[in-house]
Amino acid sequence: MSDLFTLSVLMGIIVSGIRLATPYLFAAIGETFAQTSGVLNLGVEGIMLMGAFSGFYIASTTGSLWLGLLTAAVVGILMGLLMALVSVTLQAEQGISGIGLSLFGLGLSSLLFEKTIVSVVAISGFQPIRIPILGNIPYIGDALFDHSILVYAAFLLVPLSIYVLNHTPIGLKIRAVGQNPQAADSLGISVAKIRYLTVSFGGMMAGIAGASLSLALIDLFQENMTNGMGYIAVALVYFGGWNPLGVLGGSLLFSFVNAFQLWLQVKGVQIPSNIALMMPYVLTIVALAFAANRARQPTALDKPFERGES
Amino acid sequence: MSETVANNGHKKLQEVQMVGIVKRFPGVLANDHVDFDVHAGEIHALLGENGAGKSTLMRQLYGLYRPDEGKILINGQERLFYSPEDAIEAGIGMIHQHFMLVPSLTVTENVALGLKSTRLFALDLDKVERRIVDLSEQYGLKIDPKAYIWQLAVGEQQRVEIVKALYRGADLLILDEPTAVLTPQEVEDLFKTLHQMAQVGHTLIFISHKLYEVLSISSRITVLRDGRVVGSRPTEGATRASLAQMMVGRPIIQQYDRPAVVAGEMCLDIQDIYTKSDRGGDALKGVSLSVHAGEILGLAGVSGNGQRELAECLGGLRPVRQGKVILNGKDVTRASPRERIAAGQSYIPEERMREGAIKEFSVADNFVLEDHGKSPYARGIFLNLNAIRSQARSVIDAYNVKTPSLDTPLKNLSGGNIQKLILARELSRHPKVLVASQPTRGVDIGATEYIHLRLLEQRQTGTATLLISEDLDEIRALSDRIAVIYEGKIMGIVYNSETTLEQLGLMMAGVTEK
Amino acid sequence: MKPVVFRVSLLAVIATMLLAACAPAAAPATPTAAASASVFKIAVVFPSAHNDAAFSQSMYEALLTVQKDMGGPSKVEIAYSENLFNVPDAAAAIRDYASKGYNLVIAHGSQYGTSLEQIAPDFPKTAFAWGTSLDTFQEAGINNVFAYQADAEQGGYVQGVMAAMLSKSGVIGITGPVEAGDAKLYVDGFKQGVLATKPNDKVNITYTGSFSDVSLMAAAATTQIQNGADVLTGSSQSVVGAIGVCKDKNVLWFGQQWDQASLAPSIVVSSQVYDWVPTLEDMIALVQKGVLGGKGYTLTFANKGLVIQYNPSYTVPADVKSAADAATQGIIDGKITVQP
Ligand SMILES: Nc1ncnc2c1ncn2[C@@H]1O[C@H](COP(=O)(O)OP(=O)(O)O)[C@@H](O)[C@H]1O
Ligand SMILES: [Mg+2]
Repeated sequence: MSDLFTLSVLMGIIVSGIRLATPYLFAAIGETFAQTSGVLNLGVEGIMLMGAFSGFYIASTTGSLWLGLLTAAVVGILMGLLMALVSVTLQAEQGISGIGLSLFGLGLSSLLFEKTIVSVVAISGFQPIRIPILGNIPYIGDALFDHSILVYAAFLLVPLSIYVLNHTPIGLKIRAVGQNPQAADSLGISVAKIRYLTVSFGGMMAGIAGASLSLALIDLFQENMTNGMGYIAVALVYFGGWNPLGVLGGSLLFSFVNAFQLWLQVKGVQIPSNIALMMPYVLTIVALAFAANRARQPTALDKPFERGES
Repeated sequence: MSETVANNGHKKLQEVQMVGIVKRFPGVLANDHVDFDVHAGEIHALLGENGAGKSTLMRQLYGLYRPDEGKILINGQERLFYSPEDAIEAGIGMIHQHFMLVPSLTVTENVALGLKSTRLFALDLDKVERRIVDLSEQYGLKIDPKAYIWQLAVGEQQRVEIVKALYRGADLLILDEPTAVLTPQEVEDLFKTLHQMAQVGHTLIFISHKLYEVLSISSRITVLRDGRVVGSRPTEGATRASLAQMMVGRPIIQQYDRPAVVAGEMCLDIQDIYTKSDRGGDALKGVSLSVHAGEILGLAGVSGNGQRELAECLGGLRPVRQGKVILNGKDVTRASPRERIAAGQSYIPEERMREGAIKEFSVADNFVLEDHGKSPYARGIFLNLNAIRSQARSVIDAYNVKTPSLDTPLKNLSGGNIQKLILARELSRHPKVLVASQPTRGVDIGATEYIHLRLLEQRQTGTATLLISEDLDEIRALSDRIAVIYEGKIMGIVYNSETTLEQLGLMMAGVTEK
Repeated sequence: MKPVVFRVSLLAVIATMLLAACAPAAAPATPTAAASASVFKIAVVFPSAHNDAAFSQSMYEALLTVQKDMGGPSKVEIAYSENLFNVPDAAAAIRDYASKGYNLVIAHGSQYGTSLEQIAPDFPKTAFAWGTSLDTFQEAGINNVFAYQADAEQGGYVQGVMAAMLSKSGVIGITGPVEAGDAKLYVDGFKQGVLATKPNDKVNITYTGSFSDVSLMAAAATTQIQNGADVLTGSSQSVVGAIGVCKDKNVLWFGQQWDQASLAPSIVVSSQVYDWVPTLEDMIALVQKGVLGGKGYTLTFANKGLVIQYNPSYTVPADVKSAADAATQGIIDGKITVQP
């Protein structure tokens, strides 16, 4: 128990936490854009699976990780467009169509996996890159600056998306479309165009989130390997109050607590494993429920837009 | 200063002509070969009843809808607008009946929304803000560019809308029922701004169904009825009576007869009640009112000051947190709607489609919604359909409800007829107390007149009526006494015969005398 | 919403869901031979994928072997449904197979027991099998259910012995994933094997709580290794995540349920493999004789249902190998008892 609180354990938690947080960050930041513009995309899970599979398949057949990543992004965009078609153009119930898309992704990725790769094989994925200078700082270098390119990308996505959402014309449009689509429409902004854009961007991020698993973090594909991560990513957007910083906080909290409970178990701390396993979920919900900021909640979330309904 | 936004390059708009405009919606001919034209420097009023097609006509000019037939000429040249963007490009701005603002954004962000930035990637909010300040000084439109929309009063929000249009270089500004949400003082300020704008060469189209406003602001008036233009004439020489005749198609009553009635015993006594709003704050903060038999007490106030919550408390739909409500000597503070009905109260709700009726049900079913358990409508546990139908038929005839049949679903009736049906249902029980919340909102003048006459008739027979309305004309036409509510508090109670519009306006704006 | 648009979108949603629902439910693994009385029809319901490199694959491969031994698809027809972690879905599939006239319907998951107890009496002419379990429901008056399980603790023990001898740090990690069923038997046996060999070694167990959370399984392995472990093992299909980490960190791995050497030839020492072939053959013979259930099977070293499969690419030191053989023999002889 006493050796639980050591520097090396802390570093271990940070390294594992950062790795665990990576797919959540990609998926949840992408979903933040979709939701901010008013579309609840519950299809993230399915898109992640398809991204994980297609990226892995292309990378293992061509030998190019980058081509794999690109494929995952494109597949993500395509599935995002499908979601946008159903929810924006056809105005279907967003929750149901999202779950449909998730099941579709689960089924199709499993089917394709069986038809092509057949059984689990591993590849050599994106390798850790040690950042010069920073990577040589004792402890901190190992914990923060020795990760694969996709991990860095996920974390860089946070300031980037804060900037885009809050300080650019397109970000302003996205927020307006999610808060009052009628108003945006009356100013000549195409609500549909913005929503297509955000939902397909969200799809691309979900695809990359899946590929970050199969090409950088686990380096293999297995059926249903996301195991509900996509749904947690959607929840993290709510808990993060539609703010990329909140999403980052939520992802890190969830992942760090998960890494921490593994250490609790390894160090033989006497708590039932079920309780340890529940910790990240319970703590994340509690912490963020208290900190939750509804100010940015898109009022038009989950509502299709049709002109002249005011 | 950022020149990308000012007067976005179009030639100054001198003249707009709409020729032979036809616009159909499923089952409705909203515009039927409408001809309409407007010139620079003019304040042109578009007058018509609810549903006459005013908003629809202007939405076509603003590119929100496309005409089924007809054409639009700008400075003599035919133009096709595919979206508001095109209309904005041509120098047209529109201020909608429901404001088109994003509450969670600041004034500046709302103005900048959809505009190109002068910077490569980033927003240029600082520049936008400077220009907003310039514009608001130029036109006397007081606004704080840094404030969030949700922090602003309705009048301020409207100013933001105007600045938004001016910022986009609008030469022509369409205002769709801009006064509906304003206090009398705010209306005056708005009119000043409009005159100022007209003087510097802007063109204004002012939509309204209120005669006196139209007469006081406009230079020319076009009247629409049932989607058709009835006539267009200079305001000079027009009278209330002649306009009303054009608008409704027949003369209307200028002033109701309100014979003196001696107020009787106190029937409804509201004692210092408090209630929460949907958002959690206090919607009512100690409201006390009393209504006597044979009296109409009008409750005036700008929309959103607790009127809806008060009505819901009285209807038994919202819990009273503190205080008491006494109905005919009985404490009904916590009584259910049914118990209140039993105690002799009738209730005409504001949201008639949500609370007063079930829109999928037929006319006859809606008629017995409250009394279905009683004789003669029920026999044991069964409904007596014949009794229901014959009673419904007779009341519908008496109240002049226009419906194709008793089995027509309510949603297919017009607003005025639905309201008459609810009124018929409520009054057929001969209530001792009547709570009427916005009884004529969205109702045409004919039906409004009818409802008003019925309310006065009830007063004559000794009913105690609490009339909650945001329409000050209605309050003044019917009430014996007038109470004004502001932010959940009663600002004062005055006799109708002894008060002035100005006094009421000040109270509605929250100014207490002395 | 406009009615037409609504209908179109409803259609789109339904189509999407149908596609999703159809994809994982696999067709028969072999082309259906013309239905003749001589064909023995077997159906199996898997909680995970049939090729999960673990529990389900062990049964699937055994079925293929049996099919080949008995004369190919013309003699034995095999159908399966996979990824039915949702029990009601599995129950529906079991009932479906039974009503289609399959001779033997295998419910390959402990969680399917309650459903099977309800379904079996409705199809008295069909034989069912349920694993892993030893309950054939005979006490409930049901006579058409076989039960099977593996004494996973036996192989766990033997691999534990090897792990203790191969570990230099004296810290050995087990990555769960759950504290129940087959995984628990294996984990308990493994721990006993280690401690019987090196009583002072440390065995740390982390549970991830999920058979399929590959990502958390990888994190668990990383944590174990950072904590000093240089030999790891674990159960379920999600261990592919852990094996990947071991390969990167060059840490030894012991496989369970299926030969996992191909995933990482450099670091997998051996795997405990389940051989269901004898069990299946016995069941089929009984069914053909008209006995439709009532018998329980247990895979052990003694009946050759359990096998330690060594990785040909990894050279096990001779002393380790002989210690493992001794432990195996001890278990067969009853000299060593492993507590389940
Ligand atoms: N988007 C729409 N869909 C269907 N009918 C509409 C729509 N907008 C307006 N209408 C109908 O067209 C008619 C004219 O409406 P409107 O232009 O809003 O009238 P006004 O603004 O004069 O009150 C009404 O009968 C209204 O119900
Ligand atoms: Mg209108």
